[in-house]
Amino acid sequence: MSPFVFDKASILERLGGDEEIFVMMVDMFLQDVDRNCQSLREALGDEAAVLQREAHTIKALLATFSDNAGAELAQTLELRAKTGELADAPARVDVLLARVAEVADVLRRLSVG
Amino acid sequence: MHKVLIIDDSEINLTLIRALVIKLGECEPVLFDNPVKALEWCRSNEPDLVIVDYMMPEMDGLRFIAGFRALHGRTEIPVLMITANDQKDVRYEALLGGANDFLTKPIDRIEFSARVRNMLALRTGQKFLADRAAHLANEVAERTREIRDRERELIYRISRAAEFRDPETGAHIQRMAHYSEIIARGLDLDAATCNLILRAAPMHDVGKIGIRDHILLKPGRLTPQEFEIMKQHATLGYELLKDSGSEILQAGAEIALAHHEKYDGSGYPRGLKGSAIPLFGRIVAVADVFDALTSERPYKKAWSLDDAMRFLEDGRGSHFDPLCVEAFLAGWEDVLEVRQRFRDEEVPVI
Ligand SMILES: [Fe+2]
Ligand SMILES: [Fe+2]
Repeated sequence: MSPFVFDKASILERLGGDEEIFVMMVDMFLQDVDRNCQSLREALGDEAAVLQREAHTIKALLATFSDNAGAELAQTLELRAKTGELADAPARVDVLLARVAEVADVLRRLSVG
Repeated sequence: MHKVLIIDDSEINLTLIRALVIKLGECEPVLFDNPVKALEWCRSNEPDLVIVDYMMPEMDGLRFIAGFRALHGRTEIPVLMITANDQKDVRYEALLGGANDFLTKPIDRIEFSARVRNMLALRTGQKFLADRAAHLANEVAERTREIRDRERELIYRISRAAEFRDPETGAHIQRMAHYSEIIARGLDLDAATCNLILRAAPMHDVGKIGIRDHILLKPGRLTPQEFEIMKQHATLGYELLKDSGSEILQAGAEIALAHHEKYDGSGYPRGLKGSAIPLFGRIVAVADVFDALTSERPYKKAWSLDDAMRFLEDGRGSHFDPLCVEAFLAGWEDVLEVRQRFRDEEVPVI
């Protein structure tokens, strides 16, 4: 999978060019990312519906920052959880968590710098 | 200020939507991350727009909309549902279930603002129409009241017209009308009927307009022939008022015709007996005679209250309906109050 490319222009475009909201979104993402990852990890031991929902949440998070590839990963996991194909779920969760961590890294560097 | 209810279980979405809604201006966002609590809030609060996420634990957006639409007075309030692009089946279901439009995740500000603005414009239109309907209903009520007031005033003036040509005074028609109401209340008639007799009783002698002056104003006793002519005022009043579309005038016609009937059948013009005499006629007979007795006239002094009361008691079952006399005497305190209020010198307008 291609590395996450931070495309501020496209994100800002969706936010109507509003820097203020953009900064707010980045802060929110960074604030919640650990908790969201934790929830996704724990969902593996729970019902498929929970996993489906947590994947859905992550999908929305990544999509907010225009990470199409990451959002696609999350969506595949979401759909497979929905249809009950859980055999490769742990592996998919790992990949997805790594992707979220990567995005979080980029955003963190951005908000510090 | 539009109250915008936002329901999303993801905090980042709540924050984003809230920020976008505030940027729209004239919006007050109300946030819930729990649809069950949001629905509870909607029971006692009326949002102008609902923005609800589809996928939430506990209760999804579809079930929220169903619950929301089931609440009283919440069928018209616009609802936007947030779905991902790939949830086409959900969108169809939501449209059938009462969503007005959709927002796509991830949220795009241009699309978001346009759709939210459209929904708020829809809501403003709804409110305007509702206000207008309420305004019109008010207007109609106001006009109806004006017409009714004018009807009352007109009736009072017609009644006065007859009384002007008569030794009886304006205060007489006021008092006898209120006595009639006291009797009606004592007979447990409903409030509307009590009010009706109060408004209609003043017309009892309106037929006197048609009686020639030399008889109507004759200072001494009437000859039997003159009295026969005088009696015609009952029928004349009835002819004048009958077939009116107004409930009050109809009642007035009935009272004019029946107020000189006597319980034992010895009255006029029809010589009706007992309950064959219309109830309003039986009531007004007591009220009218009592006030005539207790008022001073050019040709007679006023009777004392005791004498007049005895006259009514003696007339039970012969002149008067016993129940009407009983009701009148039972309301004695009110009778005295009416006597105080409407004296012969000063006549307050109804
Ligand atoms: Fe009369
Ligand atoms: Fe009279």
